[in-house]
Amino acid sequence: MSTKFKDLYDRHIEMIQEEQRKNERLAIGTLCSYVPVEILHAFNILPVRLWGQSEDISQADALLQIYICPPARHIMALGLAGHYDFLDGIVHSYTCDATCGLFNIWCRNLKPKFSFLLSPPYIDIDEAIEYSLAEHRGFITALENFTKKRFSVDRLRRSINLYNEARAYIKEIYDVKHRGAPVSYLDIYYINLCLQVLPVEMLISLYQDYLLAAKEMVSKGSGKYRILLSGSVISDVDIMGLIEQRGGDIVVDDTCLGFRLVQDRINEDEDPLTALVKYYLRRPPCSSRADFPARKNHVLEMISLFDVDAVIFMHQKFCDPHLSDHPFLKKVLDEKGIPQMQLELEEEEGLTGQVQTRLESFFEILEGK
Amino acid sequence: MEAGKTRKRLKANKALREIITQFYADSHRAKAEGRPVGWIPPMNGLIELFYAMDIAPVFPENWAPVCAAIGTNKKNFEYTAKRGFSGDLCGYFRNNVGYALEGINEENQPLDGLPEPDFLISFGAGCIPTMKTFQVLCDHFDVPVLRADLPQVAMEDIKEHHIQYAVAQMKRLIRFLEEITGKKFDIDRLRQAVAYTDEACRLWDELMSKRSTIPAPFSAAELGIMFVMVTRHGTEIAVNFLKGVLQEVNEKIARGEGVIPNEKLRLFWDNIPLWYNMKLFNYFEKWDAVVVAETYSAAWSLRMDPNKPLESIAYKTLVSYPLVSCVSLHKRLELIVKAIRAYKIDGAILHSNRSCKPISMGQMDIQKVLAEELSVPSVMFDGDHMDGEKFSMAQFQTRIDAFMEMLLAKKDY
Ligand code: SF4
Ligand code: SF4
Repeated sequence: MSTKFKDLYDRHIEMIQEEQRKNERLAIGTLCSYVPVEILHAFNILPVRLWGQSEDISQADALLQIYICPPARHIMALGLAGHYDFLDGIVHSYTCDATCGLFNIWCRNLKPKFSFLLSPPYIDIDEAIEYSLAEHRGFITALENFTKKRFSVDRLRRSINLYNEARAYIKEIYDVKHRGAPVSYLDIYYINLCLQVLPVEMLISLYQDYLLAAKEMVSKGSGKYRILLSGSVISDVDIMGLIEQRGGDIVVDDTCLGFRLVQDRINEDEDPLTALVKYYLRRPPCSSRADFPARKNHVLEMISLFDVDAVIFMHQKFCDPHLSDHPFLKKVLDEKGIPQMQLELEEEEGLTGQVQTRLESFFEILEGK
Repeated sequence: MEAGKTRKRLKANKALREIITQFYADSHRAKAEGRPVGWIPPMNGLIELFYAMDIAPVFPENWAPVCAAIGTNKKNFEYTAKRGFSGDLCGYFRNNVGYALEGINEENQPLDGLPEPDFLISFGAGCIPTMKTFQVLCDHFDVPVLRADLPQVAMEDIKEHHIQYAVAQMKRLIRFLEEITGKKFDIDRLRQAVAYTDEACRLWDELMSKRSTIPAPFSAAELGIMFVMVTRHGTEIAVNFLKGVLQEVNEKIARGEGVIPNEKLRLFWDNIPLWYNMKLFNYFEKWDAVVVAETYSAAWSLRMDPNKPLESIAYKTLVSYPLVSCVSLHKRLELIVKAIRAYKIDGAILHSNRSCKPISMGQMDIQKVLAEELSVPSVMFDGDHMDGEKFSMAQFQTRIDAFMEMLLAKKDY
């Protein structure tokens, strides 16, 4: 594993603050992957995905009950600990109940200078494009008022172009890994994460370098079980590491931070805002925004595209969307004879003994097949 | 867990029982006569459309409290668990999925159970558990499905494009229902249905406002009357029933008759009741206290314009869920602050409901506002609106007893 992207991620807050100071850029926190970062970028704003583990999750107790999912509680605890004090605002694009509640509670208690709740459509019908355009225009107007700057279509075009390029590189990294390059999924995890929290223009050449190096590595295939990792917010790198150690190779993911986000590109031959709303509407939806048939199609498509041998679901405790999808997806996989396992993560995530034992026995079953 | 009957004191409860029986009987009759039955999520403008097109609506979510009251919820939970669903999911989800997939086949169900759906509406809307319940149903029942869409917007942020988009969905729905029923949609009938809902809402508001009278003429124990607001919007049944209740309540007020003889404390209730233990509302009576207002009951009311029937049902659909949930904490707090003042509340009881994250999130903020802005004491207890296993009566008593003593002392009793 290369530590470059992990190091960058670890320093992201410092780096953003430096950008804020040096280049007088604003930084806005984003909740969920549906926030159109390209629009923020077109306003010269740094989008920073709220993500991560607090040192003391019980700090969230004063505002969020213990039966709210750990990711939401961690983010709240981070906010209360002052970790995100540098942010100039927060945007949520509607996904699940927990995130929407978190957004509201955050705004009330941490009083950001700017906040916006975007409500994108769920289904791809003609009216949805019109609606989504209006909704995004409302977002743009709010940003114009906040930044006192005019929105520029040309700048949006440039931002789209940059994000397209970055996403295309990441997608290709998945692809060279698929073709046998010895790339660790942990690298891909941090590569993905960096795009969520750091200036895109800074990352492109790093992605390009990484890709070139990966292409030069001898492609011999790992000989390991090819795993699809599915779940919501999975930030538990220890578990990913154990999966790799134990004989699994996470070749693709179906999570809030992964292939889904880089799979498609925004059409650059069309009006930029229209192309942008189409991208967010047509990208494979997350569990909170999808119905069962869409989830099924996506999971099966990933399985065939990446020759997946087995699926590991890593679910956050109290995560309603994924916990309600799981029995259905399990049925789909059972019908296709694809082995799967489900790990439900407790509040204190990590490599607990129980998780280790369950993973061990899962790989034993795979070996016995 | 202590179950048992609630002490209800309004005579209207007799009429209500009749209405409940009739509602379920209507859907069975429709089924028997070959008219289509549709299962839909509650609290939206679909119901006016259904009644305007003579379609029998079935609300699984409304069936859940019935199951909780009669105790079949436990079996339904087992059926859901057997299929691998987490026990942490909302009790409505766990009850309704279990019921639809297995419980529905049982013999001798109260009210004859629910008739199977002939079609389903699956919304990207509302809370995740409701949305996912319908996805499970769509997977299970082999019937036509209309997938619809409804963005989640805070009530105060609703703009013209939200309404227009919701209207577009209503038009899709009308085309779908025309195909299912083979009948033409008649806008005048929808107008009439919308007018009934508007009148029911007006009556509901008036009825609720009567509870600001001291002593309060009825308490949260009577909340069953909300049944008509969920299932009979769009019909004259709701209007007539509410008129009757209002008359009864007015008479009580004229006689100066409170729901309890010697009212000392007035309470506010946040979150859904414990449907398996409605008797809990009577618990406060040992301190001469009465629950006179709730967040939950206020959420059913809104005004509609029969001259703009499509926009009205679109708007209703847009606001129904955000009104009760934390889509806008701001709006919710506004509602609560208003109620606390209007109903002259001495203390608030907050049910931290393990099942319902969208309604429970923000309760700590509610407590802060009550204390800091209104100087109203409050207490929170852990519970669940559907699952008695997640509620401890002993713990409830410890918390509530201390709280009530404190309230009495504060009022110098
Ligand atoms: S998708 Fe799941 S884990 Fe993510 S915020 Fe929502 S409930 Fe929590
Ligand atoms: S009780 Fe809450 S979580 Fe459950 S279906 Fe209703 S709104 Fe959704």
